[in-house]
Amino acid sequence: MSGDELRRALPPVGDVELQRDLWPAMLRRREERRVRPTWLDWALAGVAMVWLAVFPEAIGVLLYQL
Amino acid sequence: MRQNHRYLRAYMAGITVPTMFLLVVVTGFTLLHRVAAPWERIIMFPMAVVPNLWGVWNLLHCRWRWTTIGMHGAILPLLLVPAGFALARALEVPWISAGGAATVLPVGMVVYYLAWKYLVAFFNEVLGVA
Repeated sequence: MSGDELRRALPPVGDVELQRDLWPAMLRRREERRVRPTWLDWALAGVAMVWLAVFPEAIGVLLYQL
Repeated sequence: MRQNHRYLRAYMAGITVPTMFLLVVVTGFTLLHRVAAPWERIIMFPMAVVPNLWGVWNLLHCRWRWTTIGMHGAILPLLLVPAGFALARALEVPWISAGGAATVLPVGMVVYYLAWKYLVAFFNEVLGVA
């Protein structure tokens, strides 16, 4: 296939500029997907920390299971 | 590419957290127990069993999605803790007792719930299997 034939087969693409700004939509999507800790998650994390403070000898056993 | 090897990516997302956390585990063991204990027996479970079970567990979550990822992860210690205790007994790992394993189960479920809800979910998102 010659260069002319190739050019005829693939006509130039017109108006390749975006019609709108995609960045705000990207930021909005990121914000939607972000998981925010609930009060229950904070409470559970607090309970776990207290538990580890009360039973420090069990930390090794916990690490073994992780 | 995103459509291919979905379960492999789910497995990889699952093993990421415990594999990275292994460094913390090893440091913790070293500091807590001044490890004179047999390392090759202690490290077997956290290094070989735990990451693989996380990977398979995440694969199962991506396959069925029967509940939230946090709840799915919180159930895993119900398998891991007895398995870890059994292996510790078989390999004669010191300081792993039945009482210790039972004590650690509830807080392990809490830790797993949070780890799966935030960390594994993040890696699932990154690898496109969320």
